[in-house]
Amino acid sequence: MAAGGNNRSRLLLVILLVTSLFLITLDLRGVNITSSSRSATQSFLAPIQRGVSDLFSPVGGFFSDIKNFGTTKSELKELKEENVKLREKVILNDDTLGQLKKLESVLDLAGRGNYKVVSARVIGKGSSTTFSQTITIDAGSSDGVLKDMTVIGELGLVGVVKSTTSSSAIVLLMSDPTFRVGVRIARSQSIGVLLGGGDSEYTLQLLDPSGTIEKGDVLLSLGSDNNKPFVPGVPVGFVKSVKNSRLTLTQEAVVSSYSNLGSIGVVSVIISSKNGGPKDALIPTPRPTPTKTIYVTPPPTLDLSDATANEENN
Amino acid sequence: MSWSRVGFSSALLLFFFVVQEAAISKINFPIAGFSLYLCVVLGLMALEDRFGAISFGFIAGIVLDFSPSSDSPFGKWALILTIIGYLFSRNRESIGDFTERPMAFILLVTAGATISLTIFLITGLILGENNGSVLNNLKTIFGNGTWTLLFSSILLPIIVKLRSLTLSSRERI
Repeated sequence: MAAGGNNRSRLLLVILLVTSLFLITLDLRGVNITSSSRSATQSFLAPIQRGVSDLFSPVGGFFSDIKNFGTTKSELKELKEENVKLREKVILNDDTLGQLKKLESVLDLAGRGNYKVVSARVIGKGSSTTFSQTITIDAGSSDGVLKDMTVIGELGLVGVVKSTTSSSAIVLLMSDPTFRVGVRIARSQSIGVLLGGGDSEYTLQLLDPSGTIEKGDVLLSLGSDNNKPFVPGVPVGFVKSVKNSRLTLTQEAVVSSYSNLGSIGVVSVIISSKNGGPKDALIPTPRPTPTKTIYVTPPPTLDLSDATANEENN
Repeated sequence: MSWSRVGFSSALLLFFFVVQEAAISKINFPIAGFSLYLCVVLGLMALEDRFGAISFGFIAGIVLDFSPSSDSPFGKWALILTIIGYLFSRNRESIGDFTERPMAFILLVTAGATISLTIFLITGLILGENNGSVLNNLKTIFGNGTWTLLFSSILLPIIVKLRSLTLSSRERI
């Protein structure tokens, strides 16, 4: 009996392994089972993600609601409840104000670049089991968001639209290892490619062998044909350090992005851009660094010539 | 493994998949993210017999392949979790009864999560996927392992109870 059971499970193992390999082969050969099934899942998940996002956004309010459940009607408790409600309101206001502030910055950047945008809230993030860096936003094809559109945050580039459903879209973040964007150094106009590294640092590979990179250089997106996937002129990041290696033909540098991808709440998807883009209009203005001014007052010193003259007179 | 149990287990997996995708992945865990889904799947898998563990691994993998944020080919997680299911069923007899040795259960689930993610990366390399720097991937695996170790002590008793609800009176014996 045990041998029979073993044979049965071995046969099942072989069948399931072959089925898995068959599915992988189908997918790699471009049979459209993946994109349709995953976009169907996304359509199903988007309303839930939006609901969860609304629920967890003012977390303090949610927990204090549970805490105050079933309280008595004494005056003290009424006051406490009122206090809690007021606090919730403040928390909710803070949350809304925070989102509004971010949206204002994003729209300001889009306005300066003459981009036509659709703004959206971040409602989900990619799971750790996929090893890919993505976010889900609450705007989809019904809002005009399509695949391969540029996504910007309050300070610059965030990523590119990877897939859409009618009410949501998945954005591939610029930190994803597969992410590539053509960039232009604002100072020298040299062009290069920025590679995502999986974390907050990026690698810039210059295409021009005679080009130079300097620390602090500002990088702007180069743009693509018909503005897809990238519109030109979006601030991408700045050079943090230059790699000096004789092994590579062109210079490489470590770049920091302007957008803080760990705390994005609101983004804008660029629907269209004016021909030619904003050129260098979106280069971030450097923040003034505080300078210390030290005033030195010389201590009162005795003039020796006057002192000797006084002595002689005496 | 009866059909009613397959249905109930699949519904349970779908529920945890939705929770993972909608809520857990939104939390910014220090080091790297935690996969509640993987923890639950491995916990349930460890309690099954060989036949159950293999089929359960395959179903769980197919569900995970539906993840919209995934870039890997459809069927990759099914392949990995089927293999993990087989490895679990091969080794579980040597570990003994999990209810008497909860620490072994927790360590098995943690090791399973770490091995699954490592196999995921290795198969990704074979299939020519770009998963980023080795250091970053190691950080993700380590982070996920750490969170699985911490959370599985809370989750596994719940999983054991949930599983016992799916058992028929004959299977309980």
